[in-house]
Amino acid sequence: MALLLHSLALWCFLAGAPFNSELHERQSPHARVELLSRQATLHPGSALQLGIHFILEPGWHIYWINPGDSGQPPSFKWQLPPGFTAGEIQWPRPERMQSSAELADYGYHDEVLLMVPIHSPQFINNEQLRGLRFAVEAKWLICREVCIPEHATLELFLHSGAIKENPATAKLFADAEKLLPIAMPLDWKAEVESRKNDFLLTVTGSKPITKAIFFPLDPGQIDSPAPQTLQPTAHGAKITLKKSDLLLKPISVLRGVLVIAGGRAYRIEAPVRQPIQ
Amino acid sequence: MKSPRHLILHACALVALIASAFAARVGEPAPGFTAVDSNGKQQHLSDYKGKYVVLEWHNQGCPYTKKHYASGNMQRLQKEWTAKGVVWLTVISSAPGTQGFVTPSQENDYLKTMNAAPTAVLMDPGGSLGHLYGAKTTPHMFIIDPNGTLIYNGAIDDHPTSDQSDIASSKNYVSAALEEASNGKPVTEPATRPYGCSVKYKD
Repeated sequence: MALLLHSLALWCFLAGAPFNSELHERQSPHARVELLSRQATLHPGSALQLGIHFILEPGWHIYWINPGDSGQPPSFKWQLPPGFTAGEIQWPRPERMQSSAELADYGYHDEVLLMVPIHSPQFINNEQLRGLRFAVEAKWLICREVCIPEHATLELFLHSGAIKENPATAKLFADAEKLLPIAMPLDWKAEVESRKNDFLLTVTGSKPITKAIFFPLDPGQIDSPAPQTLQPTAHGAKITLKKSDLLLKPISVLRGVLVIAGGRAYRIEAPVRQPIQ
Repeated sequence: MKSPRHLILHACALVALIASAFAARVGEPAPGFTAVDSNGKQQHLSDYKGKYVVLEWHNQGCPYTKKHYASGNMQRLQKEWTAKGVVWLTVISSAPGTQGFVTPSQENDYLKTMNAAPTAVLMDPGGSLGHLYGAKTTPHMFIIDPNGTLIYNGAIDDHPTSDQSDIASSKNYVSAALEEASNGKPVTEPATRPYGCSVKYKD
């Protein structure tokens, strides 16, 4: 009977929040990294969002999915309970960093939350109800004047329960969500004309765009350090993107993120029109 | 009346400027240069016409450079290809006070310690050779054929990481290009995205 009461007490204690092992966060020389969950508990078949939160020492940066001319994006190798699978990293809008005439990189300073959707199975057995371990081997390159490869294995435990947002992380995830690039509105258009030495990206939206930066998703297409000349139009803008010296064959689609100054970031997937021969 | 020397200096500056505007494009003539090596000797690209020349941008402190040196991979490549008559020039474009900058004698000590075997190491602390070729990372590899045409510009291999454990399973672009070209075949992957730390240019 006493044992049952103790178990119940433990169960009630656990019911409140995900319990973090001491390995959920790591302090490395230039970053504090922690594995966080948006949900406080697990519900079979429902969405689970985890995130790796980087708090970087001032001046240091990590990289976007396309790091640009140098650097390397963070990578995650997940250790998940049976039946669970991890989706792709949801990359917030990056910043552009130019260190010299030859190089521009894309990444993040200060703080960034890299969210990853986790798909849970329809059934979780009773044994697992007490607590499931979610772990990730994270590797990242952090740079300032020099670059340092870092890594950490982070874990947290979640148990089954009614779907509940985690109050401790709710704001962090909500804020990070606002920084994610979104699909262009349906009535917008993005097209690219391939010219001898550059691409002309024409974005037609609702009003003039006076300041924006295009971040290419695929390396080796756009010359990263070259200035992007932007010409506002009545309903959007025309942006000149110098071609990379690595681009030897024509491309049919230009993918990337257009970050409008003071505004939103849009996912661009624009068909490329070749010059008429 | 300007002295002839004055005029020649202006002409040289103009040539250097024009050359840099064209950078280093695969399929085009590789930009000519003169640089001083770690033994104080002047090296001209034109000295090596008729041979394959590999340019290897280098920063001994960079984790990606260390990947290839601590593993012995770069030294193995240097020995393999110089034995076949290829000229291997390591280039250091780190500005004074930055990571990778070394004095000539420090570099010669490094070569001995690491058992490296380039033909020469070009000291480029002013960064002009780096800018001439558009060197972005360490390592960043360029290959010039015996006719002086640039036939490769890019990464050393296809695993853009700092992990030594990736070398064994990597396709080495430099060896592949040299093997294809020396057998009269076109280089199948002549331009790839170089990976590594950014070259630490002078401001």
